[in-house]
Amino acid sequence: MTKASSTKVKDTSAKVLFIVCACLSILAVFGIICYILAASIPAFREVGFFQFLFGTRWNHNTDTYGILAMLCSTLVVTVLAVILGGVIGVFTAIFMVFWCPDRFHLRYSGPNKFVQKMVAWLNKINLRTIFDQIIKLLAGIPSVIYGYFGIIVLVQGGLVYMDPNYRGYGVLATCIVLAIMIIPTITSLTKNALEAVPAQYFEGALAMGNTKAQAVFRVVFPAARSGIISALILGIGRAVGETMAVQMVAGGMVNFPTGLFIPICPLTVKINMEMGEVVPGSLHESALMATGFVLLVLVLIITLSVNFVPKEFKGKKGTRVLQGGGENVVYRKKGLIPEILKYCGMVCAGIVVISLAAIILFICINGIPNISWNFLFGGDGYEGHSLAPAFLTTFYVIIFTLIIALPLGIGAAIFLNEYAKPGSKFVKVIRTFIDTLSGVPSIVFGLFGYLLFVQIFGRSVFAGAFTMVLVILPTIIRSTEEALRAVPMELREASYGLGASKIRTIFKVVLPSAFPGIATAIVLSVGRIISESAALIYTAGMMAVASSSVSSAIDPTNAGSTLTVFMYSFFAEGLAYEEAYATAFVLLVITFVLNLIVYFIQKRVKKKR
Amino acid sequence: MNIFKKKEAAQTEGTAEESKQKKEKKPVTLDIFDFSGDNAITVRDLDLFYGEFQALKKINMEMPKYQITAMIGPSGCGKSTLIKTLNRMNDLVEGCRVVGEIIIGGLNIYDRGVDLSALRKNVGMVFQKPNPFPMSVYDNIAYGPRTFGIRKKGELDEIVERSLKQAAMWDELKDRLNKSALGLSGGQQQRLCIARALAVGPQILLMDEPTSALDPISTGKIEELCEELKKDVTIVMVTHNMQQAARISDKTAFFLLGEMIEMGDTEQVFSEPKHPETERYITGRFG
Ligand SMILES: Nc1ncnc2c1ncn2[C@@H]1O[C@H](COP(=O)(O)OP(=O)(O)OP(=O)(O)O)[C@@H](O)[C@H]1O
Ligand SMILES: [Mg+2]
Repeated sequence: MTKASSTKVKDTSAKVLFIVCACLSILAVFGIICYILAASIPAFREVGFFQFLFGTRWNHNTDTYGILAMLCSTLVVTVLAVILGGVIGVFTAIFMVFWCPDRFHLRYSGPNKFVQKMVAWLNKINLRTIFDQIIKLLAGIPSVIYGYFGIIVLVQGGLVYMDPNYRGYGVLATCIVLAIMIIPTITSLTKNALEAVPAQYFEGALAMGNTKAQAVFRVVFPAARSGIISALILGIGRAVGETMAVQMVAGGMVNFPTGLFIPICPLTVKINMEMGEVVPGSLHESALMATGFVLLVLVLIITLSVNFVPKEFKGKKGTRVLQGGGENVVYRKKGLIPEILKYCGMVCAGIVVISLAAIILFICINGIPNISWNFLFGGDGYEGHSLAPAFLTTFYVIIFTLIIALPLGIGAAIFLNEYAKPGSKFVKVIRTFIDTLSGVPSIVFGLFGYLLFVQIFGRSVFAGAFTMVLVILPTIIRSTEEALRAVPMELREASYGLGASKIRTIFKVVLPSAFPGIATAIVLSVGRIISESAALIYTAGMMAVASSSVSSAIDPTNAGSTLTVFMYSFFAEGLAYEEAYATAFVLLVITFVLNLIVYFIQKRVKKKR
Repeated sequence: MNIFKKKEAAQTEGTAEESKQKKEKKPVTLDIFDFSGDNAITVRDLDLFYGEFQALKKINMEMPKYQITAMIGPSGCGKSTLIKTLNRMNDLVEGCRVVGEIIIGGLNIYDRGVDLSALRKNVGMVFQKPNPFPMSVYDNIAYGPRTFGIRKKGELDEIVERSLKQAAMWDELKDRLNKSALGLSGGQQQRLCIARALAVGPQILLMDEPTSALDPISTGKIEELCEELKKDVTIVMVTHNMQQAARISDKTAFFLLGEMIEMGDTEQVFSEPKHPETERYITGRFG
């Protein structure tokens, strides 16, 4: 074969491979829907679809299955959480974009050298970056830690005293925990939307005599409306699907959410509570799958509705204010409301910082004293509990997941960025499916993994890893694509100009230049895998604390608990709270380090440009 | 489809005559391009469309071997478009359609079955903005040869050294071959890009405003380099700098609104242009 035709063959077959990778997201979404639907059909048939949806009783001993109360709980809790978290998140974003000072401006003129140095050092800190990192850290903290914080600090430390029945958990506790958990999503997306508003809107409003607060709330904020609505919708999706944290504070009793302290059992919690003891092939199992299916449909509707947020109304109001010359100008004397809103922003930002600080302090204070070498790496020889098996399982899951997901994700990103016509129908469809996949709740991934991968590999690290591939695929595709997009066209031209083929150009020039982006994708994925629990419990498994051992964990065909799942077992078995704290501390440190790595990679990239 | 034999390796060595002799000695030609004729490039009745928009209209021109042909004309007249058709970089542009012929080395490069890789190996390109790869100096230059299957360290070393010498940069760079090319100055980067293009042994070098992003001293160096290079390669250069065209080119072509208005010896075009538009443009730009 001549070189010319062999390169052609290579180019075409590579292209086909990339297309396949890109289509995998479509396949995954359909696969999840079909598998779970198929598994729920027995329940829908036996119980009756409407009876299932609108029945109010759930008792698996009598095979009575109705999810109305749980559905209502999910919806009510979500709405309240989104109102609370949405307000705080949006205002925090506004504060971050418009009022967060760059640096402290502390002054100290005293003689103390040490204080002088401290002040100088403090003044050097870039506050915006710190704030950004706070939000990212909040986003990275595993659900189990939120749940733990919720039950110990929020419920037992506060809400108990307000509850006439001295329980504390239930609707209110769930809302608060969920609100804190969705704040990072809402804040970061709102921030993006605000920053995307052209600067001249803001400047134009100022130029017409608006105060800064007026300009922000009358012009920029309305202009960013569609982005903010999308942020809220994604927040809703996240809240509906959250499992582990909710499970710890909801109470787990099937009730209608008729009061703030009523213990409830949202859909996810029901699934999670009963999946562990379900008899395979029973109606009970099918009913849980059907519950998962309802949850999935709910989430799909929510995620897909983002696409219907009209883009046009982005900016309309804002521009009108600016274009209006003379009589149309919205000009009031120093408005009171914007000024009040401005302070709201500061308060909300404060709440966010305090929440994070509280969580970190809580974990550190309780966790650090319980850390010991043996606890971390003691292995089977050590008498007490040791994290060694969990580390091993976590490590395996990470490695296997990445080995499978990276090539697939990068391939898909290459197709989207290097081959596909930008803006073509096909690309839009693929993008929609990638977004949809990223919105699917962990627990649904868990059910799917249970139905497919556990059947193939048994409950094992492999089943867990395959499930996690689907979970992290969207992250990898997105951040790789972003990195590919940032590679200047000129480099590709230079390579083509030297006679290189497309495939060579991609592998030798484009991908190496995009390496930092891919590294970021890897770190983010590792973070996601470490913080995941609901998707892993029924796939990789959840070992009883006592029965987990290094000798079993060393074999990836065995089941095993990752760190978060392990932490959850400590809690669920109710035996070893100290160890749960210590594990939480370890998780927190890992999250922190991963965030730091991402930060430094991105800082280096920025410097280079 | 035996268009391109792998064994063409380091064909650039020596002067033109030598390489011609080599070609005669080895009946298996290195590629199917045959540059023995007088004209390196012949353009016949070339029309080019970007979708509906016609960017080039009935272009006819001949670019003689081992000379520098300058293309001048106001912004948007199609110079970059034309120069990009000469090594088919326009293939990358969505909706770009070409009618007519471009004969390079005895072949119409828009014929079906022409190996793009072989074409671009023979027709190198230097871009307006220096675009070194984010790799070491060495890897930048070795990129092209590696594309064509040269893997041996010794061979690559030789090519790198020769190309850098050809681009008059060897002394500047021989001690920093393993440093990133992004650390070089703009002028150095551009000359490195020239060296990189030379490393695959092109017969023709296309340059689209190669000095417009550079300071006068770097510009001077590149102009000198071009004069030196034309012993071995044919150069086609787009420039907005009339002095530059007058100084270094042998032929000059003037374009206006997608048409070639006039082409001739540089001296003639600048001293007594045949077309009033050419005159107006040149005097306007000089004055
Ligand atoms: N990719 C493209 N798609 C559509 N039209 C294009 C494209 N590239 C160039 N054109 C159009 O073709 C015409 C010629 O463009 P070209 O870049 O060749 O001009 P030029 O002579 O190089 O100008 P300059 O001196 O500014 O570089 C212009 O009208 C331009 O708008
Ligand atoms: Mg141009």
